[in-house]
Parts: sequence; structure tokens; C-alpha cells
Amino acid sequence: METSNTLISTKSSSAFKKQAFKDQITGILFTLPAIIIIFFFGLFPIGYSFYMSLYNWNVRKGKFVGLQNYLNIFGDWTAFFQVVLGIALIVLAITLSRKVKQSETRFSKYSFVVLIILLVLAGVFFLTGWGRMIELGDKAYLSSLVNTLYYALGTVPTQIIIGMVIAYFLYQKIAGKELFRMLYFLPYVTPAVSTAVVFRIIFNRPDYSIANRLIGLFGIDPLKWRFEKIPIMQLLGFDIEGFFAGPSLALITIMIYGVWSFVGYNVVIFLSGLGNIPKEVYEAAEIDGATKSQLFRYITIPYLSPITFYLSLISLIGTFKAFNHIYVLRLPSAGYSVITASVYIFDRFYQYTQFGVATSQAIVLFLIILGLTVVQNKVMAERVFYG
Amino acid sequence: MDNAIPLKTSTSGLRKTNPTLAIIGKVLIYVVLIVGAIIALFPFFWMVSTSLMTLGETLQLRLLPAVPIWTNYAEAIERAKFDKYLVNSLIVTLGTMAGLLITSILAAYAFARIKFKGSNLIFMLFLATMMIPESVTLIPNYLMIRGDILPIPGGSWMNTYWALTIPFIANAFSIFLLKQFFQQVPNELWDAARMDGADHLRFLVQIVLPISKAPIMTVLLFGFTGSWNAFSWPLIVTSNDKWRTVMIGLWNFVGEAGTETNLLMAGAVITLIPILLLYLFTQKQFTQGIATTGLKG
Repeated sequence: METSNTLISTKSSSAFKKQAFKDQITGILFTLPAIIIIFFFGLFPIGYSFYMSLYNWNVRKGKFVGLQNYLNIFGDWTAFFQVVLGIALIVLAITLSRKVKQSETRFSKYSFVVLIILLVLAGVFFLTGWGRMIELGDKAYLSSLVNTLYYALGTVPTQIIIGMVIAYFLYQKIAGKELFRMLYFLPYVTPAVSTAVVFRIIFNRPDYSIANRLIGLFGIDPLKWRFEKIPIMQLLGFDIEGFFAGPSLALITIMIYGVWSFVGYNVVIFLSGLGNIPKEVYEAAEIDGATKSQLFRYITIPYLSPITFYLSLISLIGTFKAFNHIYVLRLPSAGYSVITASVYIFDRFYQYTQFGVATSQAIVLFLIILGLTVVQNKVMAERVFYG
Repeated sequence: MDNAIPLKTSTSGLRKTNPTLAIIGKVLIYVVLIVGAIIALFPFFWMVSTSLMTLGETLQLRLLPAVPIWTNYAEAIERAKFDKYLVNSLIVTLGTMAGLLITSILAAYAFARIKFKGSNLIFMLFLATMMIPESVTLIPNYLMIRGDILPIPGGSWMNTYWALTIPFIANAFSIFLLKQFFQQVPNELWDAARMDGADHLRFLVQIVLPISKAPIMTVLLFGFTGSWNAFSWPLIVTSNDKWRTVMIGLWNFVGEAGTETNLLMAGAVITLIPILLLYLFTQKQFTQGIATTGLKG
């Protein structure tokens, strides 16, 4: 009772200062346990990883080698800077094109030419630089980055489209809505290692694979699935080499798992987003005579775009972090075709105990994720429609 | 209202109001949803079904066993020591959840309701850790646990419960989730409590926590699944059976069981049952938790 009296009666500055000081102490004390854990196991490791990457570190710390581990990845600094320049030019071209679109159309022809030149330059820089990096650098690691890119391009849009469609359907007047939602979400909550082990058996050796029996119902010949390291385009009979030959069927099998396990998450998020779209907007459009597909195209998709943005960002970062199911589903017979960056780094560390090499590769992966986040934030933020 | 429908359709052609089209649309929606559900469920069905087959039946790719062989489970448990690993996983998971609860409730409350210098900066740094891939943190954390970076009590935490729990007893996600909720607690409640002489800790324990059951439940659920499903970390900080968790046990069993897929599937079912039970009983909180955090992220 005494304190309450003083609080009401004395609004002097000293009481405020005392309260502010108390709050400062309480705030620090309350956050301290979390700060200690998150600092030592979340933030400090970034700095320490970089420190380790500067050494020839195999289990125990060895000689200081500066940026040699990074040079071993890229092969040649000029090649590396060419690639960086190429990416920077692409980003510049995209920003310019958006600026031009927003401004007057008077200079459009002129800016169009500039844009083309920029893109061509970007392509030339990027491709020549990348070619030299593959030639001189750590080919296995660089191709693991390409595999990660395949994995991201193959899974993220697929997950989002399937997730949006299912959520939209579930949002209609449907019997058993709750049950459906529960079932779709199941693959997301269950342990990745357990379900990936099941996928190992589903996509087993051709003779023992239930997946082959299923595609057999549609008259498709048995496939080697997780065992197949030939790129998908070559498998389909196209004579394509390099990047556009696409991922191996083994990696695609892993993507199937990725989509299977992640769609439910998107469904749940999209569903709650759909619930936030004001009913009046639909009603008004219906009165104006809009069809179902028009409603979806001109109301649902724009209103969901902040969520689509959020999900694509989260999933993109997720694909670069993805580890457990890839580690479980990969096979030696698929060679490097199924090794994504995080798995490759783990092997360098766990199997080959090359800590310095592994940390330098992890830092590169981290910088890529950071860059992607920044770029995607910028690009998507402009396109997002905030209802 | 019903009388208005024919009028509308006659003026603007086939529209959603056409009853046959509406029925076809509905049927199509159900077909898509059911096919989707079958795809989502098939691996679970296949896992359980195979786990009850004889070895011969698994090779014939039968969909269902002629007679369910329940002893497969006993054999899998015996061969892969799942009983021991289940106990380990349970201890690790419960320990992690307890720690996670304390650290995140306190920190979330501080960020949401206490004005103190540096709170914004610390919170931003916390959020930044959500973006960092495990590849970057794994190796330094491994050295940390071995006591190579700093002296830690006991010298090294390799093959201990400490290694399996301590790094996970705080995370940015849980703090963020609870902070969102604590912010919505009306200020009047705090003013009233302060009048009665309550400090922050008492207000938190007596007023805020009782009305925050739902978000706390969500934190616990995610804590449980995160800890139970953990794989790469337990793989590197445990090197003998005594400390291994179920996921590592299952992974080792993949090599050991070889072509005996019925036993392997029985093992997979065992590792999955706790999560499945948890999900079946709390799926509302699960999905709601995901939805609210997802939307505000």
C-alpha cells in the first residue's frame, strides 16, 4: 500500500528515474538467459566460423592462410569478381526497369537499349566468370550450389502454387474442412528423418519400388529414382549439357519429398490469409458480375500477395538450409548430383574433418542467403499489394 | 433472393449461379482435395502397412499384409535399442522444453513490456539469428561443446545431455511468438497491478501467464517437435549408444536393417508415434500457432 501511495502522489523526476533504472535492470536480467544462449550458440559462431575459415584447420587449428580457403572455392579472384559484377549488373538492370516503368514514357526507347546492354554485359561477365570458377575452383562445392539452386527453383514455386490452390479450395464451403487441413499438415510436423526413411523405401531399387508400381499403372517404364544421376533433360531424350540439362532424377526425388513435406505449411498460412480478406470485397465484385476465376485472379491473388511474399522468402531460405531429408535420401550412386551446399559442407566437416574448408564454404553459403534475402525483400516489397 | 437468380443469369450468360456448373465445380474441388489428402497420407499408410508385413511380402510390394506381424515391432526395438533411445529423446526433449519456456517467457516479457536501453538492438540481433543457416553455427558449436573454445564445466560436453539441450534452450522464434502476444495485454492491467505494489515478475507470473496459455502451448509444441526431430546436432555430439536419440538410432538402423524394410518401417513408426499423438491432441494449437506467427513474420 505504501508504494502505491508514493506512486500516485510523487510524480517527481527522481521517482521516474528510479523506475527507469529499475526497468533497465529488470529488462537486462529478464533477457540475460536468452542473451547468453543465443549469443554463444547463435551469433558468436558466425564470427568464429569466419575466424576458422582463415586457417588451415583440420580438427586442430593449423597455419594462418588468410583467404586461401576462399580462393580455393573460387579458383581465381578475377573470375569471382566477374561473377559478382554480373550479379550486380542484373540487380541494377532490374531496379532500373522498375524505375522506368514508374516514370514517364518519354525516354523509354533509350532506356530500353541501356537495359539490354546492361543485361548482355551482366550475362557475359557472369558466364565467363562462372566458367573460370568451375574450371579453377572447387568444382564439387560450386556444383552443390547449383544443386541448391535447382532445389529452390523446383520446390518453392511448386509448394506455393499447390498450397494456394488447396487453401483456396478448402476455404470454400467444404465438408470436412478441419480434417483435410489436419491431414495436409501432417507431413510438416512429423520428423523429417522418419518420413525420409519411408521415402527411401518408396523410391527403392527399381524392382522393389512401390513408386515404380504406381507409375506402371499409367504405362510408364520403371525409373531408377534416387539411384539416377543422369540429368532430367537427358533422361527425357534431349541432348542438353550444362545448367539447362537440369537436376538429376535423384535430386528431383528429393524435391518431391520437399514439396510433400512443406505444402501443408503453406496451406495453413494461406488459409489464415484468406480469412483476413474482407467479405465485402468479394460481394461487391460479385454484384458487378465477376466470375469465380476473376474473383480468384483479381481479388484473392492480390490480397494474398504479402503472404505469398512471406512464404517464398521463408521457403527460399529454407531450401538453402535444408539438410535432414537430403542427407537421409541421398545415395552414393547418385554421386554429386544430389549434394546440396549444406550437405556438402557437412561432409567436409564430419567425414573429412576439414574444418577450415567447411567454415569458408559455410560463410559463402551464408552470404548468398543474406544477399537473396535483401534482394527478394526489395524486389517483392514493391510488387506486394497491401490491401 | 432465389427469385433473382434466373434474372441475373439471363443477362450475363453462364455464371457461378448456374446450378450444374456449380455442382461440377464442387465435385472438382472435392476430387482435388481428396487426391491431395491421399498423397499426403500414402507414405504414412505405406509405412505402417509395410511394418506389419513378412519380408517376403515387402519384396512382392503388397499393399497390405495378409496377416499383420506385430512381433516386427518387438524385433525392431530389440535390434535397434529403440527403447533406450526413446528414453534419451524424452529426457532431452523435456529438458529443452523446460529451459526454452523459462528463457523465452522472461525475454519476451522484457521486450514486450519493459522499456530498457538496448532492447531494440538485442531483439533485432535475436531475429537475425533466424536467418543463419545451421551450416555456419554447427562447427563452432561443436568446438564449443568439446571445450576447445572456452573452458566449460566438466571439460567437454561430448556425449552428455548438456550438449543435447543447452544450445536449444533459447531461440528467437519462441521469444518473437510470445512477445507478439504479451504486447496485446492491456496496459490497464499493468497499471492496476503496479498500484497493488506488484513488480514485473509478479505481474508476469500472476496476471500475464494465466491468460497466455495458448501461445505458451504453441512454444511448447514447437519446442517438442524441434527437439524430438533434431538430427545433425545429436549426430555429431554423440558417439556412443548411451546418449543417442531416436532419430540417430533410426538412421543407424537404416544401414543395419538393410533389406529388411519391414523392420526399418517398424522403427520409423516408433520414432514417429510421440509426435503423432501430440499432434492429434493439439492440432488446433499447432495450426493456429503457425498461422499467427507466420502472418506476423
